[in-house]
Amino acid sequence: MTLINTSTSAFYSRSQSGMQDLRAQAEALQTSIGTGLKYTAASDNPVATARLRQLGRSDTLSAIDKTNAGRATTDLQLADTALSNLASAIIRAKELSAQAANGTFTPAQRRSIGAEISSIRTSVIRLANTNDANGHALFGGQSAGAAYTTDTSGNAVYAGTASAGTLSLGDGQVVNRGVTGPEFINFTHNGAPTDLLATLKTLADALQNADPAAQSIANASLDTLNSGLDAVTTAQSLVGSRLASIDLANERRTAMEELRAGEEADTGGTDLAAAVTKLQETMTVLQASQASFAKLARLSLFDVLN
Amino acid sequence: MASDLLTIGLSGAKAARAALDLTAQNIANAGTAGYVRRSLSLAEVSSTGGFGQPGKLSLSGVRVDHVVRNADLFRQAEARRTGADAARADIEIGGLQQIEAAIEQSRLYPSMVGFEGSLQKLASDPTDPSLRAGVVEAARTMAATFNIAANGLTAASEGLTTGAQSGVRDVNTLATELGRLNLRLARAADASSDQSALLDQRDTLLQQISSYGDISTTFNATNGVVDVRIGGSSGPVLVQGGSANTLAMTAAPDGTLSFDVGGSAAALSGGSLAGQMLGLAKLAQVSSDLDAAANLMMSTVNTAQAGGAALDGSAGQPLFSGSGAAGMALAFTNGAKLATAPAGAPAGSRDPGNLDALRAALTSADPTGAADRLLFDISSTISSRKVTQGALKAIASNARTALEAQSGVDLDAEAVNLLRFQQAFQASGKAMQVAGTIFDTLINLR
Repeated sequence: MTLINTSTSAFYSRSQSGMQDLRAQAEALQTSIGTGLKYTAASDNPVATARLRQLGRSDTLSAIDKTNAGRATTDLQLADTALSNLASAIIRAKELSAQAANGTFTPAQRRSIGAEISSIRTSVIRLANTNDANGHALFGGQSAGAAYTTDTSGNAVYAGTASAGTLSLGDGQVVNRGVTGPEFINFTHNGAPTDLLATLKTLADALQNADPAAQSIANASLDTLNSGLDAVTTAQSLVGSRLASIDLANERRTAMEELRAGEEADTGGTDLAAAVTKLQETMTVLQASQASFAKLARLSLFDVLN
Repeated sequence: MASDLLTIGLSGAKAARAALDLTAQNIANAGTAGYVRRSLSLAEVSSTGGFGQPGKLSLSGVRVDHVVRNADLFRQAEARRTGADAARADIEIGGLQQIEAAIEQSRLYPSMVGFEGSLQKLASDPTDPSLRAGVVEAARTMAATFNIAANGLTAASEGLTTGAQSGVRDVNTLATELGRLNLRLARAADASSDQSALLDQRDTLLQQISSYGDISTTFNATNGVVDVRIGGSSGPVLVQGGSANTLAMTAAPDGTLSFDVGGSAAALSGGSLAGQMLGLAKLAQVSSDLDAAANLMMSTVNTAQAGGAALDGSAGQPLFSGSGAAGMALAFTNGAKLATAPAGAPAGSRDPGNLDALRAALTSADPTGAADRLLFDISSTISSRKVTQGALKAIASNARTALEAQSGVDLDAEAVNLLRFQQAFQASGKAMQVAGTIFDTLINLR
């Protein structure tokens, strides 16, 4: 005779493992609520956690792009200020050469005008040698030293590299990090290449040395300086457009950050409402199974039989 | 032989008494592991009538025929097989989770992203000494994380190997024990409670061995002696009669395990030993993938370094030395030695040509992606194994429940038995009393 019965030890071990499972579930939910993370290990959901890793990587790199963009913005703003100062200097030089072109001025007066133009030229060289936020030559491209050096005969020579290089802003966006000296110091006038510093030097030298042709040189310089001013304002608008493109990239990055944050929350964040409800449900079931276990375990035929 | 009411009553009382003893034994062993519920099989004692009296009443009472051990060979084999599968899955997942923890909790992936990020930061000003120091520190952190991950894998490997070694020792102890038990079983009287106890021990030992490796068993129908093969029905013989063979384990240089009994290979597919074997096989693969990722990172960076100029204009030197995840180390700690400028650039050049080349090389070789894929590989393996583990656990627990439902002790049923046999005892006593009364009646006839 075989009889299918419920073994007493099996009843206890089943009840125990059932309650242990429920307790483990409740604890997992509690951890998830406490940490705000849906998954504690990658194996909880390999695909979602792989996505979270990618998102985390994008977050890290995007934060660095932001810092880099900030640096580029600072440098371009410094360049913008320097170019504004440069434009004022050229305008002042133009006024002075207009005065010098006037025939009523005496050579002595021209000499003093020449002295002022010479000092303007010095300040133009100083402006062209401005440093950026990191202490490098702002208009020197990628060179290690100053952008302009003066040779023995007093001519300014560009010592920087040809290009200022580019900086990645993330997502394939690239911006030129600045302008080089030759981009606004050198320009073409009447088809002939010339540069601002040479023009100013010729003018200052002619006026200071009482050159007989000083008046006509001053007259000719007026046009040349106009072209020089054009070159500077062109460079300034170039800087402005680069700043605008950085702003655009920043806006795009912010939008992407928001999207990523949203996806991160959706993929790996705890849905509090759902988790708390689930926890409540688990607790209810756990309490019910504890109560029913206590009742069943108390139930023994030995208590009834006398 | 004449019918004897007193003798019949006595035999009934004796049988009820024996049944009560057995019930008490069942109750006492309700919580004993491996105890199989016993019941008593009774048989009627009768004899043919005496000479020339074929139709005569000739009843002689009841006798204890044998002790029934309520074990079902099929259910036990099922419980062993499914238990072995569940044990394998448990141990394998445990090992895999250690591997996952070694790779994930070392924060390998974030440290590689950190290194990449530090290079990106350096691109904003390649000559900045603090940014250069940042790159060197990020490289140091990354090398350290690779070392930590490799150490974690080694520790996991040692843990699994030690577990397997002690498992093999246990299997051999149990097999020797089973051999001795087989000898005693061969000598035990049939259907006695002594034999039942030995059979309980035999089944417990088989259950224990099967938690280490999948076994196939052949039982001797008369005396219950068992022969055991390990690694399935075609595996080598572990126990035959009273003699036990020795299970041995061999660890390959890459940490993977193989088992044999006296030289013939045992292909284990269940039990904790199979779990450890599978875990170590995965670990060997992960470990070589990790080394590959480390080597890829080192060679990419070092090749790019060699093609550029350091801050002082000298040719770039390798940043990393050593090989493999465990051997990864920094070759220099001076940030000025990072070759950000292209070869031949003057000292102090801000040209990020070589830095850009390095970053492009890292993007195309993608060691970070290799680490990501490695993590995905382990985590998806664990996740799929967990599904299997859930199924195996459910199957094993069902088989266990089915076995226990049949062979376990139910206290309520025993309470009923207690009552039933107590009543039978009382009734038999009553029969003897009646016999006495009849005898007295006859004696007192005057």
